[in-house]
Amino acid sequence: MFDIIAVDISGRHRTNDEYIMVCAAVSASVTADNIEKTNQIAIRSFRSISAPDVTDVINMVETTVAELKFGGTIVTEAGDMYNKPQRIIDSIFYQDFKYQESLGERRCIELAHHVSLAARKFLLKELGLQ
Amino acid sequence: MMSKRKSMSYKAIIVKRDDPGTDKDKSDLQIRELKELAEAAGYDVVSELTQTRYPDRKFHLGRGKVEELAQMVFHFSPDKIIFHNPLNTMQVYNISEICRCETIDKFQLILEIFATRATTHRSKLQVELARLEYELPRARAVISILKKDERPGFMGLGGYEDSYAQDIKNRINRIKDELETIQKDNRSLRAMRHSLGFSLVSLAGYTNAGKSTLFNSLVDEDVEAMDMLFTTLLPTTRSLTINGRQVLVTDTVGFIEDLPHWMIDAFRSTLDEIFLADIVLLVVDSSQPVEQIKEKLLVCHETMWDQLQDVSIITVFNKSDLLQEDELQQCINYLGYLSPNPVAVSALKGSGFDKLKTKIYNELPEWERISLSLPMSEEGMSILAWLFDEGIVHDVEYDEKIYIEFEAREKIINKAISIINKFY
Ligand SMILES: Nc1nc2c(ncn2[C@@H]2O[C@H](COP(=O)(O)OP(=O)(O)OP(=O)(O)O)[C@@H](O)[C@H]2O)c(=O)[nH]1
Repeated sequence: MFDIIAVDISGRHRTNDEYIMVCAAVSASVTADNIEKTNQIAIRSFRSISAPDVTDVINMVETTVAELKFGGTIVTEAGDMYNKPQRIIDSIFYQDFKYQESLGERRCIELAHHVSLAARKFLLKELGLQ
Repeated sequence: MMSKRKSMSYKAIIVKRDDPGTDKDKSDLQIRELKELAEAAGYDVVSELTQTRYPDRKFHLGRGKVEELAQMVFHFSPDKIIFHNPLNTMQVYNISEICRCETIDKFQLILEIFATRATTHRSKLQVELARLEYELPRARAVISILKKDERPGFMGLGGYEDSYAQDIKNRINRIKDELETIQKDNRSLRAMRHSLGFSLVSLAGYTNAGKSTLFNSLVDEDVEAMDMLFTTLLPTTRSLTINGRQVLVTDTVGFIEDLPHWMIDAFRSTLDEIFLADIVLLVVDSSQPVEQIKEKLLVCHETMWDQLQDVSIITVFNKSDLLQEDELQQCINYLGYLSPNPVAVSALKGSGFDKLKTKIYNELPEWERISLSLPMSEEGMSILAWLFDEGIVHDVEYDEKIYIEFEAREKIINKAISIINKFY
């Protein structure tokens, strides 16, 4: 079993002249093909006037992950890091980082994705933006 | 089938162009994969040629490199030149003209492989469909090349362009219709299989991993594959009995890196065979360098992610006879995070099969086990015969009654109970 933190950010497009983003980090133990146990989920929202670049994305991920009590390798989809080579992104992160590979990791990212989408939808509703 | 082609020994030169700045390891891996694919299609790869540059519009490679290629063709007289990179019609035409050798790209090579392995009506249709979909845009291009050259007489053909493309489109539609019908039949076949209580295990993996070898040594010899229904639609299906449970094992086409979408769609139902199984045996060649195995497993995971239903995966590290015990263990440990249920076997030597079978057994959909008693009568005996057919009879004692230890899927257990209740 492997401890990972699967992270997904939703809202990386302009909404009413700004970017309202929600980052979800799921700490879990995964096997090669399944999620064995989820430990904790952290959610943070971020607002910005300009489109986020790689550094912004990494900052959002690190801020969200800092709220978790559990450690593990941070895993994202390559697209979330603008498809930059993994070793470059890894060198910027404080923690271990990699792109999704196994089915277990993919399932966990999918979970993080649902969480960030649902949380963002809720947030927009609360803000009266939708 | 493959060995027949191999003995005919077609020769090929493989070619690959890289954009400047391409990762060398990745490029090496791709040329190796191309070589493996070519060999799987029965070619003897006599030489390789690579070039780093941006694509040339007319020749794909640089003009000088194509001349070099022509020299190689003169020297080796291959049957084909196989490019890793997708080529457009103009480039194929130009390269073939200069080199005087049939030139194809990786996707046509894959089509050839699929074509040699297509044995059912359905898979033949799929190959034909993929070929037509590959052809359609090219058919248009050929016509516009001809037009540009203003070949005499061509302009007089008028509606030829339209009718040719239309003809291909019509054939595509006809095949799609027919495939849909077959697809429906297949779904009901699958339902029937489940109602009969068979579990399906399918073999997946890259070419050359040893799938066919494993298939042949794993399945029960001389056991004819079920009825005609199964054999016509899944020709490579044979049965295997593990601890009394009967499973159907299917050999399938391998995974290949970056299949283009038109091809994936065309082969979706072939892939379905893998993914509608209860268990997938993911076969890898553990004698390869770990980084190569890792790359291949990554492609498998990616492909499975797009297709996967609710199936169990067992990772079979094949060709264990080619490695030392500790090397093998290291390899399995290193790749653990990509290898569900790892097990080492040698398909060639037949070792590791007990462990593999245990793993398959553990992943089979659950059956229940109960103790039953039947009257010692003709009727009781005929029910016992029925139990033998539907599940596993672990133990029978004939006394005043017939005492039976029986295991089967839930539905059968319930039916057995309701029949037996009638007696008491
Ligand atoms: N040493 C060794 N060689 C093996 C073993 N299993 C398969 N091979 C060899 O590996 C080669 C490929 O085996 P196949 O069974 O044809 O592989 P495949 O995965 O079916 O390949 P495709 O039909 O191309 O998809 C053959 O030369 C086999 O003899 C094994 O356990 N040990």
